[in-house]
Amino acid sequence: MLQRYALLQRISVMALKPHRLHNLADTTSLGVAKRPRTMATESSSSSMKDAFSQYADYLNNQNDKRERIVKASRDITMNSKKVIFQVHRMSKHNREEVLQKAEKDLAAVTDQFVARLVKELQGTDFWKLRRAYSPGIQEYVEAATFCKFCRTGTLLNLDEMNATLLPLSDPSLEPLQINVLDYLLGLADLTGELMRLAIGRISDGEVEFAENICKFVREIYRELTLVVPFMDDSNDMKTKMDTMLQSVMKIENACFSVHVRGSEYMPLLGSEDPTSFLLAVPSVDI
Amino acid sequence: MKSAFRNGYFFTLSRSLNPNPNPNLPSTLFSLHLIPPHSSPSISPPPFRSVSPIARISGLSFTSMAGGEPHALPLLEKQFDDFRSQLEESGTLRDRIRAVVAEIESTSRFIHSSLLLVHQSRSTPEVLEKPKAQIVVLKELYNRLAEIVRESPGGYYRYHGDWKSETQTVVSLLAFMHWLETGTLLLHTEAEEKLGLSGSEFGLDVEDYLVGICFMSNELPRYVVNQVTAGDYDCPRKVMKFLTDLHAAFRLLNLRNDFLRKKFDGMKYDLRRVEEVYYDVKIRGLAANVDSVEKAAA
Repeated sequence: MLQRYALLQRISVMALKPHRLHNLADTTSLGVAKRPRTMATESSSSSMKDAFSQYADYLNNQNDKRERIVKASRDITMNSKKVIFQVHRMSKHNREEVLQKAEKDLAAVTDQFVARLVKELQGTDFWKLRRAYSPGIQEYVEAATFCKFCRTGTLLNLDEMNATLLPLSDPSLEPLQINVLDYLLGLADLTGELMRLAIGRISDGEVEFAENICKFVREIYRELTLVVPFMDDSNDMKTKMDTMLQSVMKIENACFSVHVRGSEYMPLLGSEDPTSFLLAVPSVDI
Repeated sequence: MKSAFRNGYFFTLSRSLNPNPNPNLPSTLFSLHLIPPHSSPSISPPPFRSVSPIARISGLSFTSMAGGEPHALPLLEKQFDDFRSQLEESGTLRDRIRAVVAEIESTSRFIHSSLLLVHQSRSTPEVLEKPKAQIVVLKELYNRLAEIVRESPGGYYRYHGDWKSETQTVVSLLAFMHWLETGTLLLHTEAEEKLGLSGSEFGLDVEDYLVGICFMSNELPRYVVNQVTAGDYDCPRKVMKFLTDLHAAFRLLNLRNDFLRKKFDGMKYDLRRVEEVYYDVKIRGLAANVDSVEKAAA
């Protein structure tokens, strides 16, 4: 029983210093040293067993943790996607209502699922397990920046996002902070959503909104071209840049068609803009 | 407490050009204040649930957004400028890491080539002389590597990929040398000690160590074959015992479907080859005298 307890303690120590085994290893090397030299082969095979059972504990512990983090990340992805869909339900009549709900949902994702991830990751090496949680965080960045853009037309900064994560973690430990790479990967995905939104807005008659989206997305694309070459694993990002360019062009083409054939579209769109030259035409006629 | 610093916090900390001299300083707060004040509402309520100053300037509706743009864009640009300088900085750090790793690689290549003489029936102490002298060099290089990585607190696993495979090779060489000398397995702690990594924040990753051990096992069948050819008929028995123990020890691990698992799966072929050699030697009665010694001992 005592031994078990000691083992648990050792495991928890390992959880804190994931790549090292010093604390337990100190005890083993002592144990080895105490054994008489003459029994070299026997003591070596048992010390080998001892050492490997420690490695086994370490690996088990780490794999379990990774598994839990992957799950938490998946939940974040799923629920962030729901937030994004909610934002897409926006039209010019229900804007406030839809956005409010989306923001509420996003706050729920933060408090529930991101908080769980933060708890799991607490006290461990964020970079080591990054591959396990990165997809969820990217989706979350996408949802949060998407909401923010629809609300204010500005980009939600990484620092702002990270500030919202601070209250989730134990103040005595290093808090989980979204790293630049995940943030940028999330932003790259954001443009795809913005493209969809822009197309939707155009067909709903909110051309100006679409033009604002276009400007914003262009700006992000332009800024990202300067940053991408410095990113660690830029291959993933490079394919995202290609899709992003596609998105930008789609928005531009949509804006272009409206611009060129604007006078044809306007009446069909049922614009309520009072400056519309077609205002005189009663809407019942359309 | 120290462990709290191993995390993905690099991007803010890295901006402090002055490497934090006191590791016990609460670097969280420290780094948060490094963020330019206007981009960080550090303690204020969650920003995306509140209305930011920019939104207030530009008004809430998109129709008036054009007016807000001049305010919004510089901020956006500023953030990306920051990102660029952060990423550039970590890029230079990575280049420095790679330079050291290249040296580690060439040292371990030298050790490897010296160790190859073991197959040419030279006496073991004579063969080990040269490569053992190189361990000091390795130690020094790892020390330098650790120092560079220390500049990025919590960045160990961010850059881990840059020295991973080289370190696995180093472990395999150290373990092989250790085995030649003592006939025992080089344990994780002993490997760290040899590389001067004990007690430092920069440690030897357990999985890297285990992969290195698997690499070492790949070396053994060839060693056995050549030893027998050179007339050492007791060698297969010793190696077989060692490899059997090692294989049994590895089976204690629950491995994921990853590289280590693959390497471990390969180990049984090494064991089989050694067993075959042992069989060949034994069936011809070449190992007989050793057997009788064993029986006498038992």
